[in-house]
Amino acid sequence: MSILRPFKASDMFKFNNINLDIWTETYGIGFYLSYLSRWPDLCCLQEAPNGRLMGYVLGKAEGSGTEWHGHVTALTVAPEYRRLSLARKMMALLELVSEEIYKGFFVDLYVRCANSVAIGMYEGMGYSVYRRVREYYGSLGIGKGGRDEEDAFDMRKPLARDPHRRSIRPNGRDIIVSAHDVS
Amino acid sequence: MSASSAALERQIRPIYDALDTGSNKSAIVTCNKLLKKYPTNILLKALKALALIRSQKVEESLVLCDEVLESKPTHDGVLTAMMHVLRGLGRHNDMVTMFDEAFKKSPSNEELGCQTFFAHVRASHWKSAHLIATRMYKTFQDEKYLYWSVICAILQANDISTPPAMRPILFQLAHRLIQTSPNPSYISADRFHLHLSLLRQLGLYDEANKLLDSDVGKSICATNLSCDELRREIWQLQGKVKEEGQRAELLITEKRDRNWLEFLAVINATFNEEDSDLLKESVQKTQKIFTDIAAQDGLKDRSALLALIEVEQRAHERGISQSPPVSLMEEYFEKFGNKACCFEDLKPYVKSALGNDLSHWTSFLESKLTVPETIPALQEVINALKLIRYGLTASEITLESELKRVNQYAKLYFETISLGANLPSTELQPGDDLVLLAANALISAWKLSQSTSHLLTAINLLEFALTKSKHCFLARLVLIRLYRILGAPLPALEHYRALNIKQVQNDTLSHLVLSRASTFSLASMGDLTLSTECLEATQIYLSNSQETGDFIVRAFNAEKYSQIPEFIAFEDRLDTSLQRDSVKMEHLRMRLTHEPVNSDVIDMELIELKFIFDRVHHDNRDFAIFPNYQPNVSDSLNHQTLLFGKEEGFPWLSAFLKIYIRILQQASDLDDTVEEKLLIGDRPKPAAESVTRASLSERIQNFTPEELSTLTSEETKLVEYATSLSGWLGPYHDYARPPPSVVLAEAAKQTELKTGHPLKGIEVPPINGNGQHKKDEEPPAVVDAPESVAKHFDGIRERFETVKTSDSVVDLLHVATLAQEAFILLVTESTRFKSSSVVKMNKFGALATNLKDLKAAAQAVLKDISTELIKRGESFNNAEARKACVDASNTDISAYISHDFILNLAKKISDSRYKILEGVGKGIVRVIALHT
Ligand SMILES: CC(C)(COP(=O)(O)OP(=O)(O)OC[C@H]1O[C@@H](n2cnc3c(N)ncnc32)[C@H](O)[C@@H]1OP(=O)(O)O)[C@@H](O)C(=O)NCCC(=O)NCCS
Repeated sequence: MSILRPFKASDMFKFNNINLDIWTETYGIGFYLSYLSRWPDLCCLQEAPNGRLMGYVLGKAEGSGTEWHGHVTALTVAPEYRRLSLARKMMALLELVSEEIYKGFFVDLYVRCANSVAIGMYEGMGYSVYRRVREYYGSLGIGKGGRDEEDAFDMRKPLARDPHRRSIRPNGRDIIVSAHDVS
Repeated sequence: MSASSAALERQIRPIYDALDTGSNKSAIVTCNKLLKKYPTNILLKALKALALIRSQKVEESLVLCDEVLESKPTHDGVLTAMMHVLRGLGRHNDMVTMFDEAFKKSPSNEELGCQTFFAHVRASHWKSAHLIATRMYKTFQDEKYLYWSVICAILQANDISTPPAMRPILFQLAHRLIQTSPNPSYISADRFHLHLSLLRQLGLYDEANKLLDSDVGKSICATNLSCDELRREIWQLQGKVKEEGQRAELLITEKRDRNWLEFLAVINATFNEEDSDLLKESVQKTQKIFTDIAAQDGLKDRSALLALIEVEQRAHERGISQSPPVSLMEEYFEKFGNKACCFEDLKPYVKSALGNDLSHWTSFLESKLTVPETIPALQEVINALKLIRYGLTASEITLESELKRVNQYAKLYFETISLGANLPSTELQPGDDLVLLAANALISAWKLSQSTSHLLTAINLLEFALTKSKHCFLARLVLIRLYRILGAPLPALEHYRALNIKQVQNDTLSHLVLSRASTFSLASMGDLTLSTECLEATQIYLSNSQETGDFIVRAFNAEKYSQIPEFIAFEDRLDTSLQRDSVKMEHLRMRLTHEPVNSDVIDMELIELKFIFDRVHHDNRDFAIFPNYQPNVSDSLNHQTLLFGKEEGFPWLSAFLKIYIRILQQASDLDDTVEEKLLIGDRPKPAAESVTRASLSERIQNFTPEELSTLTSEETKLVEYATSLSGWLGPYHDYARPPPSVVLAEAAKQTELKTGHPLKGIEVPPINGNGQHKKDEEPPAVVDAPESVAKHFDGIRERFETVKTSDSVVDLLHVATLAQEAFILLVTESTRFKSSSVVKMNKFGALATNLKDLKAAAQAVLKDISTELIKRGESFNNAEARKACVDASNTDISAYISHDFILNLAKKISDSRYKILEGVGKGIVRVIALHT
């Protein structure tokens, strides 16, 4: 029982059960408002019928030429609502809108190389690693997971506008770029 | 460009660079240098004003600011610099005037037109923003401006300052305008959204249907959740329940949509049938559809099975099914009992089934209480335990039974602790909920027995769980509440810090440590921890006022009309947040314990509190975050763990505002006319209905029963005291207060001394003689303080004697800090009469003596309280106290936790109690010294 609906500014008053989890960052209000003021249709959430928020996704559209694409900036589901396909449904909406409204060539996202749960999930949804970005999450320093903690995979999934799947490549894990090279 | 202006431009560059990098000092220096050369240059003045304001030199900046404004600037750079200056000063209205005049001079400058429009938007002047947009549409022919004018008319209609009778007229105006658009609104989803929302507002459903039924309309709604949300509402308003059901059914069966809203739509359509035979038929049909989907989805999606439960539940309510959907609930539990959300999913159905015979359900759940060997099995047991607990009846909740449950939960926790042993340390432990359940039961046991030993046990368990599951924030939330109840604010604050509350969370969660925080403040001792916490928590309101407006402007630029009302509502909810002003109140209460009461403090605080008092507050505090696993018939965990058992809501804030405003008003020399003249910046917009309201002075005199009901008995006493005190002293203040002309003259003198410039826009009338004014009337005769004032501290002494013997540390602190507060109020009220010339001139000798005696009596009581608190504090500063703390907690549970661990916690609690009691005790002596 979950309601898929748009993320609204006042949902910031309600997202504590999601954001108090350590994997989810709480940004300044300007962060959320900047997404909502430009790509409100790429920001949505799942809500329980009693009004409790369950998870949300924030996305944007960017790039030029054949690099024009939808981007997943944040995807998170509160611990008590995981494994209910909520992430899957929100990603499906984001892909739909990226394809039909923004006419993007692909959807992409960054994920910590150590976050195997999320990587596995994205692979299951048709994403593949396009490149590895060094020190993308630099602030954390090298922890137990070594480089995997601070490096990110840039993962992509081609959309209908890229029928020849030119936006992805098979050997992405071996292509390493530095954080300065990506936006 | 002339050579000299090119040279000047080159010289100005470094000023911009300095401003950009935050080197305000060097910007000022450069400005000063250049101003020597070009003393009349307006851009330089504007930039200097900006650098000054950024260095907090408000008064100096004001002078320049006014000079620049007077020159009626039109130059781009000047306007931009001034925009920042005026925003920094909160002078949106002046900004509006500045842009208006500039735009009037160059009406063909489109960029300037936009700036002017945005200045009005920032000031929420929707009416004039609408007019500008209309004019811009005429001049520049960009359709965007037409839509701007439309939404501004709507925003004006919805503004609190708009009289209700005007509203429909404005909506109709917006509608007429949108119809003139050369292109249809559906060329963009957000224009379409705006159009639909207007049609919904006006009830023009035929027109809305035409838009929605068009191919473009349908395709917009298929990809845009906001538009689809509106469509749903519009259909609902038209009673199109059947159509909505059919549409949703297709989505579910053909598009595999699993949005619960679609299931609800089908269910609503199913039950939209009066005839009971037809209803039965339609229920069966729907059940068939959902049963098929449930079979198809299996464990992948829980929606269809839940929908079946909902159908049966409603069928039961309508009398076509005999019993509540218990067997389906059991099926649901069998399938999804290993998901954490199962409890929450089934809760509403348990609730409506309560009162029926639940024995089958309960024994079903009890059959699930095996010792689990896997994490999913553990989750299932936890769900069973939560559901059983939720369904308990009042007679099943006794001290004994609750303690039995505590042992059940705790035992299972420790028995299954190994299941999560291999999880990474960043993961939550699967058994965390068992400890939270135990904490709920212990809190219930405390409520039943009043014995705090149960709270100590809860603390031991929760703290232990945190060593295994270090990110279990739910445990921290409960711990914060418990430590405060036990009078141990330090560990509460530590846990609060560990939650890493940031940004907007400060608004929703700072209540955890800041509600009635003055109870635990050591500001009197110079320890400003809590006071600083107040200031930090309120940063978010500054960010809101500085940033949110920018994003409203951005949403206009990007034409995201669906977002504009949302952003405005968000901005307003933060701006008028109840928590913001409750924190402000607490901060003031703490401030007066370490700062002397002088006219600066009195005037500034008074002005701010008056602003606050007329706000329509929003309560954004998050209480739903607490892990409430209490039975449906019980109070919630949140209610049970409120400090002093009293909520700190609107009525509480209102009561305290009334106390302080009245007392500060009496102590202040600022009457409304003076304040009007001296205040810079904008005032809050009055609500349309405020015209009919009584004056502020009348409104603060009486306390409503609702206000009084949220106060503790001690706070009620403070209200009574403050009311009598100000009632008694009011006439003397009114007589002795210098007339406005004298106050203004003094303010002008002070400003000139500070800035070297006279106070702008104020004509100080000549004052005759030595600044004294002649009174026409005789001074009011001095009478003795009323009983309720004279005996207040005696009452406190008595009550303190009573709480002294109880074991509640917070009750002790509460009486003590409110006694201290009563003293501070007395001091504030008597500041004016400290001056011997005031006393002499007004023949208030008897009054002065009276006040002196009152203060002396108050001090005597306070000193005794202080001594007692210190003594009581000492009693916690030894091994026996710690041992008592250890012994008090439940032995069955301590068997699982090491003695050292428990001892350590006992030490933490005792230490914190010792520090707070001693600190507040010693602080009282300092407060006395500070204020005499
Ligand atoms: C990653 C995350 C968003 C997944 O959300 P979710 O709603 O639980 O995911 P879904 O239920 O939609 O799962 C989709 C698929 O992903 C895979 N998956 C998700 N979580 C998994 C886990 N813990 N273990 C194994 N597979 C998992 C499964 O294949 C799952 O399909 P299935 O349940 O049918 O087998 C959630 O775990 C989360 O918020 N984590 C913290 C924040 C984060 O890491 N975000 C991603 C940063 S880019």
